[in-house]
Amino acid sequence: MAMSTVSRVRRQLPVSPWLFAAPGLLITGAFILYPFVSTLVNAFTDRRTLVPGRFVGLANFRELLNDEMFWIGLRNSTLYVVGVVPALVVLPLLLALLVQKNIPGITFFRSAFYTPVVASIVVVGLIWVWLLDERGLVNSLLETVGVGRVGFLSDQWLLLLSAMTVMVWKGLGYYMIIYLAALANVPRELHEAAAVDGAGAVRRFLTVTVPAVRSTMVLVGALSSVAAFKVFSEVYLMAGPSGGPAGEDTTLVMLVQRTGTGLTGRVGYASAISVVVFVVTVALMLLVLRADRRDES
Amino acid sequence: MPISRRALAAAFAVCVVLPLSACGSSGGDGGTADASGKIEGDITFQTWNLRANFKDYFEGLIADFEKKYPGTRVKWIDQPAEGYADKISADAAGGTLPDVVNVSPDLVAPLAKAGLALDLDKAAGRYEKEYLKGAWASHRIPGMKGTYAFPWYLNTGPLFYNKSLFEEAGLDPDRPPKTYDEVFAAALQMAKKTDGKVATLANVPTIEDFGRYGVQLMNKEGTAFSFNDAKGVELLTRYKELYDARALDPQALTATPESSGKKFLTGAVAMNPGSALDLGNFKKQAPNLYKNIGITDQITSTGHVNMYVMGVMVNAQTKRTPAAVAFAHYVTDAEHQMSFAKKVAIFPSTAGSLDDPYFTKQDGTDETRVRVAAAKSLKNAVNYTPVLFSEQMKTALRNEVAKALQGKESPEEALDNAVKACNTLLQQQG
Repeated sequence: MAMSTVSRVRRQLPVSPWLFAAPGLLITGAFILYPFVSTLVNAFTDRRTLVPGRFVGLANFRELLNDEMFWIGLRNSTLYVVGVVPALVVLPLLLALLVQKNIPGITFFRSAFYTPVVASIVVVGLIWVWLLDERGLVNSLLETVGVGRVGFLSDQWLLLLSAMTVMVWKGLGYYMIIYLAALANVPRELHEAAAVDGAGAVRRFLTVTVPAVRSTMVLVGALSSVAAFKVFSEVYLMAGPSGGPAGEDTTLVMLVQRTGTGLTGRVGYASAISVVVFVVTVALMLLVLRADRRDES
Repeated sequence: MPISRRALAAAFAVCVVLPLSACGSSGGDGGTADASGKIEGDITFQTWNLRANFKDYFEGLIADFEKKYPGTRVKWIDQPAEGYADKISADAAGGTLPDVVNVSPDLVAPLAKAGLALDLDKAAGRYEKEYLKGAWASHRIPGMKGTYAFPWYLNTGPLFYNKSLFEEAGLDPDRPPKTYDEVFAAALQMAKKTDGKVATLANVPTIEDFGRYGVQLMNKEGTAFSFNDAKGVELLTRYKELYDARALDPQALTATPESSGKKFLTGAVAMNPGSALDLGNFKKQAPNLYKNIGITDQITSTGHVNMYVMGVMVNAQTKRTPAAVAFAHYVTDAEHQMSFAKKVAIFPSTAGSLDDPYFTKQDGTDETRVRVAAAKSLKNAVNYTPVLFSEQMKTALRNEVAKALQGKESPEEALDNAVKACNTLLQQQG
């Protein structure tokens, strides 16, 4: 009966499914598909903000290969993934284990750990800049204990490390919530059985908890690697618009912003960098998913 | 099924063709450069972060203009300071640039090149004599004929210094440095006496610093940069000495004007350039610093201090050229610049205004002392930042300067690389 109604509607109004899908399609087309294709097309032109572009073939990509700043950006974005992703896969899981048990007052800790997620990145960035400044709280403490001042915001590597720390600190709560949901589905009997067999806390974590939340770890790995590769705000706020001393902390997305915006922006060249960011991001996702599939098989 | 294929094909075609169509001319149906017609119609006026503090002033100004020219209506838009250039870019590319726009010379240059700024030599040349010569010339673009914005307010400022930090370092707080030699000597002494804990300067040299030091920034034709000459190398070499001695703040390589201002407020650096506006800030945010504030002239080797120029541009595509030109002139004429200058510490760019007793008579306060000194120096001040010097060029110079200071490159290499990068960007600008 239901089937015949559907076929009748289909026969009488052949466009009706499209009408239902139209709002979603329009939004996707205008805000995702069009900008995406536009970027792809611009990557092969010499378009600038106020000057129409001409087709230049692969010239932008050839220029990328010889652009020192592009390689610096690629290096930093990759380092970011290498530094941030393992921390964001493991630390939130440990945090989730800490706050998993329903004991009095635990909601306070869960909320406290989640607070950085809802805080504005600009506010968070400013707070960390104050903390890590040459005369900030951290350096005052280090000076008091005799270590001396450390150039967290003036040394290229420490700056990158500081920005990674901020990203990890800000993301902990978000991934903790995801892990909490996954941990709730781990059967308690498994833990009890392992405990009866004499497994300690560490052993149970490695043989029961980790395998049970493995797919969640893959999800967190995929999400955090994409976020880390596309990092902008943390580095921009801490290293400044120039991308750290001599631009050595510039990431690829910062380079896109710096190259492609403003009245003299090189939209074509910035689009070419964006295409590289897109390709690497997709590759990262595929890599994580493939690793997961291999583990499963 | 055929419908879905057709629809998919159409969607794909739209996605491919639309971006290509964006590669077309940015011109569109333009307005006229003739400003002699009747002053009437609706126009839009965009300012740069002025509504928060001067809402009443601008509403009054607009009401007076509409009263003077019945049949006109001015819609006022104010944009935040952050991302102002990006907002103008988006409007210019989208064909929604307001009729009258508050701009700085470096913003005018690309707009004029894209044919979006009205040539005022043609449309409003009769007003030229109302403005200071240097101010009117500040919106001329090398390689182009014409002037592309009315000069609006000017600003310059002294060099502030912290007297108590000077005293602690054994420097005479009543004899501040007056030349570059004296600044560098004082900075090195400050670093030595405080064991590198107090720096004297918080910023790496910018293009205007090179200009004030007497470096030839561009060739005479304005077609190539030339700040890698011997004088430029000398300045950078001296900054390197400061950096090595920690007389330049270690975070100077990543500093912004805001962050260095904060360093000065907290006593982490001993000197900082500023303007009359800053005195109020010191009073409110750092009363202890205000008690110890020393004020000296901007350091220059050329006899000309640096000035910042704000302008008001008319959109060349406006449909209401007479009204837009009349309003841009109205905002920037002597009467209105003077009344605006009395509301905030800025300086009129109109001829003769700086001779007003408001800018020449002392009343014993620090504010007036700074104002009178600044007004005096503005009469022969220079806007050292070349109008063609884009944000990308600023970053290129800054990065090369940082490499020289860190010792990764010699000052010569760094400036050669910076000039090369800036010239490439200049060529790409067209």
